[in-house]
Amino acid sequence: MGYVLDRALATAVYLLIKLAKPLLIEGHAGVGKTEVAKVLAHLLGAELIRLQCYEGLDVSSAVYEWNYQKQLLAIKIQERADESVEAKVKHIFGPDFLLERPLLRSIRSTNASPVLLVDEIDRSDEAFEAFLLELLSDFQISVPEMGTLRATHRPYVVLTSNRTRELSDALKRRCLYHWIDYPSLEKETRIVHTRLPQIQGELSAQAVKWVQALRRMDLTKPPGVAETLDCVQALGALGKERLDAKAAEETLGCVSKSVEDIARIKSEGIEKILAQ
Amino acid sequence: MFEAAQIVNFCRFLRDHGFDAGVSETLDSLRAAPLVPGDSVKFALRAELCSCQAEWNRFDDLFEEFWTGNAGRKQQPRPQPRHQERSTWALIGPNGASPSRAEEETKPISGASLSERLRKADFSDVPQSDQEQLERLAERLMKRVSFRLSRRLQISETGARVDLRRTIRRSIARGGDPIELRYKGKKPQQARLIILLDVSGSMSLYSFFLLRFAHALQKNFKHAGTFVFSTNLVDITSVLRHEHSPAAMRMLSQKAIGWTGGTRIGASLREFNQHHARRTLTSDTLFMILSDGWDTGEPEVLAAELAAIKRRVKKLVWLNPLLALDDYQPLTRGMAAALPYVDVFAPAHSLDSLLDLEKHLTRRVLGKQDVR
Repeated sequence: MGYVLDRALATAVYLLIKLAKPLLIEGHAGVGKTEVAKVLAHLLGAELIRLQCYEGLDVSSAVYEWNYQKQLLAIKIQERADESVEAKVKHIFGPDFLLERPLLRSIRSTNASPVLLVDEIDRSDEAFEAFLLELLSDFQISVPEMGTLRATHRPYVVLTSNRTRELSDALKRRCLYHWIDYPSLEKETRIVHTRLPQIQGELSAQAVKWVQALRRMDLTKPPGVAETLDCVQALGALGKERLDAKAAEETLGCVSKSVEDIARIKSEGIEKILAQ
Repeated sequence: MFEAAQIVNFCRFLRDHGFDAGVSETLDSLRAAPLVPGDSVKFALRAELCSCQAEWNRFDDLFEEFWTGNAGRKQQPRPQPRHQERSTWALIGPNGASPSRAEEETKPISGASLSERLRKADFSDVPQSDQEQLERLAERLMKRVSFRLSRRLQISETGARVDLRRTIRRSIARGGDPIELRYKGKKPQQARLIILLDVSGSMSLYSFFLLRFAHALQKNFKHAGTFVFSTNLVDITSVLRHEHSPAAMRMLSQKAIGWTGGTRIGASLREFNQHHARRTLTSDTLFMILSDGWDTGEPEVLAAELAAIKRRVKKLVWLNPLLALDDYQPLTRGMAAALPYVDVFAPAHSLDSLLDLEKHLTRRVLGKQDVR
């Protein structure tokens, strides 16, 4: 599975299952917030339903949409049928014509609870957050044309946030909370070993130390664990055996994605940072 | 070790330390604790009772403090001394005191001409006797700004997107021919506003009114933030959200540190960039600085930080009360360093000049067609 879990997070996930409460995970970019949901789905053997949030996310892409083409065809087909307008309306606004989007799908699961991942909730707007809050309290969605649809199996909900904006208190109160910090040296080394066992230990240990040194530099975008893994993978692909200044410079694009930061790292001296 | 009563006490203890640990959180904690092994109870309570990184970071210490014995006597009340209102007003008010009634009554000036004059008057040389009048006028005019702005920001261009859902609904009665098209309007653009208000000594004659102005503006932007700075930066967004001005001002005075004294604009902006920029700035943000530009710090710092802000926002507005002076030249080192990054440089010394600023807040300016 390749996820290095500490006791605290394990406890939070356990409570998420036991208490059926959503879990809100915050942390810097690239520390493995999204992975938690993926691993959870895998462990439970459940379906993972993911909703990626963005500004302007609306009901038709998050909850449901009608299949218009199919509806138009159906209207044409029943044109000559001897039915009342009401009956026709009822037909074309039936379940056959409903396109389920992630949130609706998460409550329509028929055999087992799925895992619902609401990714980067901080990017959606407040209106959507309020809607989500309603969903999380009742696990039901009302479709005006059909009535209220209730969950038969409550989904396990994981929300992630990058803290680009403060979430509402109401939402935070509804959730369990977990903050994922950058991992310690040992933990990060273990993560790299678990995820990339084919890379030899010495090289990955050096890379981890390098990235950890960069994190202490107060960069505008400090590298996350994802960047460490990228860097180690890149070193492997380049056939490097150890991480020297040259190798570090060649793979700098893996750990830092901002011009200012790269300039700062270079001016500080890669050699010097590596020696730390 | 973890008895129910103790957990309840612990929740109360956290509440005393500013956590949002109410009844429902307490109940949830009581449900959660027995579910996990003893050495994980801490993690369970942490997941239940924290709701942001700051609380998360403080939790461990508080947990230790509570469970290692000396819990009983640690229940300190929140450190929120109520300052007397009077001293606050004195602190913020332009000249430190409100005019006496007698003094006011001796002025036989008709209302209309007085307000006409006051609107144009520089905040710094309004006589003591007219202060109250000016404040009332400010209140009224700011309300008007609020009202006009809120209309402006809500009108949306009607988009030409067909709303299929409603169109189809309409078409059923006509055998499925979409004769009547329904349209979807564009969602109103979400403008954001960030205000940084200089409250240093040199600005003290203006900051009171500018604060009112900031308050009026903030009400109209869905995403708005207001900060005051002199030698350091204080986020007063939540304070301004409270409707009643005097109460808000009182809380504000408790928050603002170094209300008067020197200014370090560059350092304050750096603080903003480090702690708040990521959360608050977007490409449709209007960034407004209200300051006279007297910076005791290095101008290079100011320039660098402004450049960083400029890259992230739609428009950078600098309002300078001194700009109204006839002989004013933006030659102070800070102001000179800042100007290359500023989109709009305008005065803010009187009510009229503030009202004039509305034009920088319209859709046209915030909209895409604004090229610069």
